[in-house]
Amino acid sequence: MNKVKRTWNINGERREAEIPPVRRFLDVLREDLNLKGSKEGCGEGECGACTVIVDGEAVLSCMLPAGQVPDNAEVTTVEGLEKTPGGRLLQAAYAEKGAAQCGFCIPGMIVSSYAMLSRDPDMDPDRIREAHAGNICRCTGYEKIVEAIQSAAEQWPAEAKG
Amino acid sequence: MPVKELGALHSVGKGIARIDADEKVRGKAQYADDLHVPGAWYGYVVRSPVSHGRLSGLRMDSDFDWSQVVVVTPEDIPGNNIVDMMGRDMPFIAHAEIQYLGEPVALVAAPTRHLACVAGSHIHPDIEEFPPLLTLQEMVAQYKEDPSKLHELSAQTIRKGDADKAVNEADIVMEREYSAGHQEQLYIEPQGMVAVPESDGTMFVHGSMQCPYYINPELCETLDIPPEKLRVKQSAVGGAFGGKEEFPTLLAGYCALLALKAKRPVKIIYDRNQDILFSTKRHPSWSRYRVGLNKDGTIQGIRCEFLLDGGAYTTLSPVVMYRGILHSAMGYRCDNVSIDGHVYRTNTFPNGAFRGFGAPQALWAWESMIDELAEACGMTPHEFRLKNCLHEGDATPTGGLLRDSVGSPEVLEKTLERCNFGEKFKQCSHGRRGEKKWYGIGLSFFAHGSGFTGDGEARIKAKAALDLEPGDNGKPVVNVRISSTEMGQGTCTIMPQVVADAMSIDVRHAYYPMPDTFKVPDSGPTVASRTAMVVGSTVFGAGRKMKADLEAFASEALFEGQPVTLDQDRFRGSYGDKEMSFEEVAAEYLARKGPLRVYDQFQLPDFIKWNQNTFEGDAYPAYSWGCNVAELEVDTLTFEIKVTKVTAYYDIGRLLNPVLAKGQIEGGLVQALGYAMMEKIEVKDGKYDADRMQTYVIPTTLDIPEMDLHFVEYPWEHAQPGAKGVGEIPMDGLAPAIANALVQATGIRMRDLPITPERLFQMMQEEKTA
Repeated sequence: MNKVKRTWNINGERREAEIPPVRRFLDVLREDLNLKGSKEGCGEGECGACTVIVDGEAVLSCMLPAGQVPDNAEVTTVEGLEKTPGGRLLQAAYAEKGAAQCGFCIPGMIVSSYAMLSRDPDMDPDRIREAHAGNICRCTGYEKIVEAIQSAAEQWPAEAKG
Repeated sequence: MPVKELGALHSVGKGIARIDADEKVRGKAQYADDLHVPGAWYGYVVRSPVSHGRLSGLRMDSDFDWSQVVVVTPEDIPGNNIVDMMGRDMPFIAHAEIQYLGEPVALVAAPTRHLACVAGSHIHPDIEEFPPLLTLQEMVAQYKEDPSKLHELSAQTIRKGDADKAVNEADIVMEREYSAGHQEQLYIEPQGMVAVPESDGTMFVHGSMQCPYYINPELCETLDIPPEKLRVKQSAVGGAFGGKEEFPTLLAGYCALLALKAKRPVKIIYDRNQDILFSTKRHPSWSRYRVGLNKDGTIQGIRCEFLLDGGAYTTLSPVVMYRGILHSAMGYRCDNVSIDGHVYRTNTFPNGAFRGFGAPQALWAWESMIDELAEACGMTPHEFRLKNCLHEGDATPTGGLLRDSVGSPEVLEKTLERCNFGEKFKQCSHGRRGEKKWYGIGLSFFAHGSGFTGDGEARIKAKAALDLEPGDNGKPVVNVRISSTEMGQGTCTIMPQVVADAMSIDVRHAYYPMPDTFKVPDSGPTVASRTAMVVGSTVFGAGRKMKADLEAFASEALFEGQPVTLDQDRFRGSYGDKEMSFEEVAAEYLARKGPLRVYDQFQLPDFIKWNQNTFEGDAYPAYSWGCNVAELEVDTLTFEIKVTKVTAYYDIGRLLNPVLAKGQIEGGLVQALGYAMMEKIEVKDGKYDADRMQTYVIPTTLDIPEMDLHFVEYPWEHAQPGAKGVGEIPMDGLAPAIANALVQATGIRMRDLPITPERLFQMMQEEKTA
């Protein structure tokens, strides 16, 4: 199969990959680039555990052919959150509120939270629920996740906006 | 609170953050598919395409290059081709009979997942097909006609007094049937396992599991190796809920058999479709009651038949049924009880463990029945429950005495008061016309046995160890060595809290490493709401021993023989001013004597008596108690049912960590909401019809009702820290509370789960025509 070359800025690092264009971006991240934080829960875009951010948009990496991720794209995965003030705030809030139980959905969940709050930190619980309806959690009943995001939203650092 | 003082605790009771939270929010936790296993091949299971038949052989396409893969058939199994669970009826790989669609007929391993699948498609089983029995409905129809024609996997009775006589002599006799369908655990991490054959002949199995000591010894007979040559280690588990209780033995077996032949590591990670199609589900159930009442609402006699659809093989179904019958008449006073439990074979994947383990099925029926009984004698559901509910000193249906730690009736009274049930009950819509939405409120009240059913805890004798050893940072750490796993519920956090209080040290000195059978004793399986209560109290006992050992050491080696007490992280002599920190003394111990290991073993109190043959006595060491109230609205145009609020009180004994405990309740209630109203999966032509996340729909953030949740604490009085079960009880009561609310909203009594708008519409149409 023909391969394409891509250079991406993943979590602030320049990463190169030579990949069949239809290879799932999730597999490229996990297997080729050894970024195993993003998870596969369903492989069909239902559970959201594979959510990553590509150029500011939260996307489902299990549904995304890697060839469609353009050269020089800015990619954020769960591993990159701790490099940002907002990401660290969210991680602390998730931990403190008990939002992670088994933790398998959390990489996708928290990346969705980060994408959402980066765009608009002015969130009430209803909007938080709306924005996370595509991230399935089987453990928590979502209450503590919503609490954590709300707590992070209230303290969202001004410099993390945009 | 009417609680005997167990002694104050400092760490227990605090809602400290989960110890594993940091690695989980950073994406660093290592789940099965994240493990780095150099040289691993991928395994694939070749399955029967038919539900029932006789296998006469396998045809392997001659034009496929078989040299590039490894194939395992029954002839390659070194030991017995048996999965040794409660029955010995299931083979690892089918060799004669086919009992379900998807039954393994061969295993394949290859360097890539793709090649393993392709190779598998070149293996064709020759099967003479027989007619299958596929569904609960067919099973129940046959039971009513002639049960002797069913294949019985297990049966058990409970007899107390003379139920038939009592029912026949009662003022009111009511007979009802209820049923419930399959439920898929749908942990977000699919099943995954790796087997690594090591050079010294050890087989190392590493993966997603609840019970390392199920896999060892269950695999030893198959692999024909002694237990000391089978090492089982848990990776981070992305949810389990019972789905990773007995099933991982199968996956471990497939990997290990392939690894033996391939002489290299083999991993299998199911994709979601395989996982739903070919793993365990909650048993479909059917309950039939015949209950006699006096006009004043006294329950005279209870006659119950409780049937489970076991699927193809016995596996754990007998114990699921035991828990089912033990909860089928629980919670209320009655001197005459007769219950018959049966598990019958159907030709589907064996049904198995799922949070609640038979109790949700039993209580779905029983708590619906209670509302119907209340109505029959002209009482409201809450008056009827308050009149009949068990109190301290009362006897259970098996004649067990509720000696202490009884949160009934307080959870019931408090819930009713909290949500103003009596007033809201009068505002329900049924019987009113012209409303845009119908409103209903409904109630359920229940107990859940904590710990293994029947003689389980006496048999298991849970063991726990603590190791004082140098930690990763060189400082002394007390490692909790138990086989109880962390699967999201919080074991890795509550156990250090328990150790901290047992030893009177700071919680940061205690740590819970993932269980590895080469390092941990057998604490029993991580099931049956037993970890906090049974294993927690055993860990506490071990902590007390380690404290005494360190005090004795400090006295002799560091405090010139004076008596020494370890209190709140400080060692102090009984005279003089000398003080040393825990860390200083522990470091001295390690430097002079090396690592310290202490053990403890769980002891059931002597007065807990149980007869496993007659099912008489104390079926559980203790019970947790709960009460759920559901409020809902029905859209009169679309029949959409929206649960708007759930109010609940629970008595789960001492709260070890209130944040984690509440997380268990919230998450369990949402699974129960799915069970009640959303999660519909049926067997069509032998195959599950909802075999993906797109079709098997579970609650999202947008489906969650307001939850008003509270605890009352009636600690288990016989051992610190006094916890009872929390894991399963949130699954027990919501479905009947919703059905009971729906009756008050619409007048329609749903007796089958799940409750869907389509079914409500159909029943309202039928009622109209009638």
